[in-house]
Amino acid sequence: MKLQIRDLQVRFGEQLAASATALDVDAGEIVGLAGESGSGKSMTIQAVLGLAGTAGATVTGSIKLDGVELTGMSAAELRAIRGRRIAAIFQSPGLAFNPVFRVGAIVTRALRQHGLSAAEARDRAAAAMRSVLLPPELLHRYPAQLSGGQLQRVAIALALALRADVLLADEPTSALDVTVQAEVLEVLRELRDSRGMAILFVSHDLAVIAELCDRVAVMRAGEVVEQGVTREVIAAPRHEYTRELLAAVPKLDG
Amino acid sequence: MAEEAVLPPGGRPPGDPPKQTLLTVRELRVNFGPVRAVDGVSLTVSDGPFGIGLVGESGSGKTTIGRAILRLVPAAGGEILFDGQDVPGLRGRRLREYRRAVQIVFQDADNSLDPRMRIGAAIGEVLTTHGLARGAVSDRVAALLAEVGLDAAFAARHPHQLSGGQRQRVAIARALAVSPRLLVLDEPTSALDVTAQARVLAIVRRLRAERKLSYLLITHNLAIVAELCEQTAVLYLGRVAETGPTASLLTAPAHPYTLALRSAVPEIDPARRRSRIILPGGAPNAAAHPPGCAFHPRCPLAVGACRVLVPELRAVAPGRLAACHRAEEVLAGLRPSAAPAQLSGEPGL
Repeated sequence: MKLQIRDLQVRFGEQLAASATALDVDAGEIVGLAGESGSGKSMTIQAVLGLAGTAGATVTGSIKLDGVELTGMSAAELRAIRGRRIAAIFQSPGLAFNPVFRVGAIVTRALRQHGLSAAEARDRAAAAMRSVLLPPELLHRYPAQLSGGQLQRVAIALALALRADVLLADEPTSALDVTVQAEVLEVLRELRDSRGMAILFVSHDLAVIAELCDRVAVMRAGEVVEQGVTREVIAAPRHEYTRELLAAVPKLDG
Repeated sequence: MAEEAVLPPGGRPPGDPPKQTLLTVRELRVNFGPVRAVDGVSLTVSDGPFGIGLVGESGSGKTTIGRAILRLVPAAGGEILFDGQDVPGLRGRRLREYRRAVQIVFQDADNSLDPRMRIGAAIGEVLTTHGLARGAVSDRVAALLAEVGLDAAFAARHPHQLSGGQRQRVAIARALAVSPRLLVLDEPTSALDVTAQARVLAIVRRLRAERKLSYLLITHNLAIVAELCEQTAVLYLGRVAETGPTASLLTAPAHPYTLALRSAVPEIDPARRRSRIILPGGAPNAAAHPPGCAFHPRCPLAVGACRVLVPELRAVAPGRLAACHRAEEVLAGLRPSAAPAQLSGEPGL
């Protein structure tokens, strides 16, 4: 198992923010984490990234990457894994890029921090851009000169260039037009199928999860209430909350 | 949706008298310097209950049309008529009346509510400004909150104590405070979870019947207009690509852009998932209109004529207008072949 989460609990004081008894993501698989705002989806992601602690939370339980325990690692050890092994993309790609630098400079800087030479970094950045169906020339532009969908794909390209094998995607398409969302989902499918990436995909929209994810875990008020193969959960939801989420999706036939 | 659909399949039940026109927009143009944001758009909004959807991607001009109707941006050309009155020419008392009759709800309720003002004061301010509630402000505020499904206790809270969906419902209550006849709903649910979105849309559905409201619903998601609008106009680069009754437009699009928008809506049911049409080249840029049909650089069905001739918006079926040289073929079932522009919609489960 690529990413294995056991008995995870994220607490702010007495308040439980997120918990998951068992959540796995294998290589070549996309697992959806569904639920409303405040259900604990993002805190789960933050915990895997080792960032929940800096937000003031207490994290207990086990998070393993290829069998190696991540909880309890030092900040320096985690820094080597974050980005390099586990990459993350977020809802607002605009916030992920410093507006005063060209996107290429931001991408190559991250690559160099993980030990690549300047030439290697440039080559890998260009190749990664092509993998997310963007022309490498866009690396010369500033963030404001790219659309939200393009920026989100540059963020994915950075994960690719670092050769990350786990991608945490926290509502990566919620701020995008449906047409642009369709493009980003296509890129994520491609990463799963051709690179065997393990992807944990957080969304409030079960329709998006139905289209993209092999398995799904539904979270409510900090707890996973239902988990299974997406097709089966959608066809026969066992938990009332899953049914509510399904009913909320707007449908083309009204 | 648990609620019953409000619209009969044909849009209007047979036997109903034809509705009066409330708002007419004719050949509207709005420029921002050299950028033609709205480039000759015509729309008709009937007396309520009636909904028209304006659908398109970022940069299609849909928000600018809504703002021009509110007079938040000046029109560079064309006509806007409300109850037969010329809107850009309204002055004094008539303008104040118009400002009451037409209200807008923005995408981001966080920015339209004063963070230091309690909800009750934010709604009460509207009532007192328009001289609508002498003495009985708190009762009226409670009634308005009830209309959007919020308890009267919310009046004492500040915006940050509410969820995004609750804030958006407060924004709707504020708009309703002056008993408008037309609401412009500008992406009212794009910033919300699907569950909060469903609640807001259910409120719009109820209000349209109770208050006989007319509204323009601006969105990038065709599935939202499917539930709430009799008519839909699909916009591309400041022009109408296609317009008609929502049900027939969604069942049988006449414009390839509508096909692409329809295919982009995520479907829960794998049996109904359409093959996805991915539009190459990213969202359109209103500062650089291509020659010929504005959509041709991204269109999977473009032919020679599309690169040179601007297609006129023309009748292609009863009640249906489309601006596409191949509209008849698209209506008859022409679909993009498995070209590089198209990728499979199959999720590979």
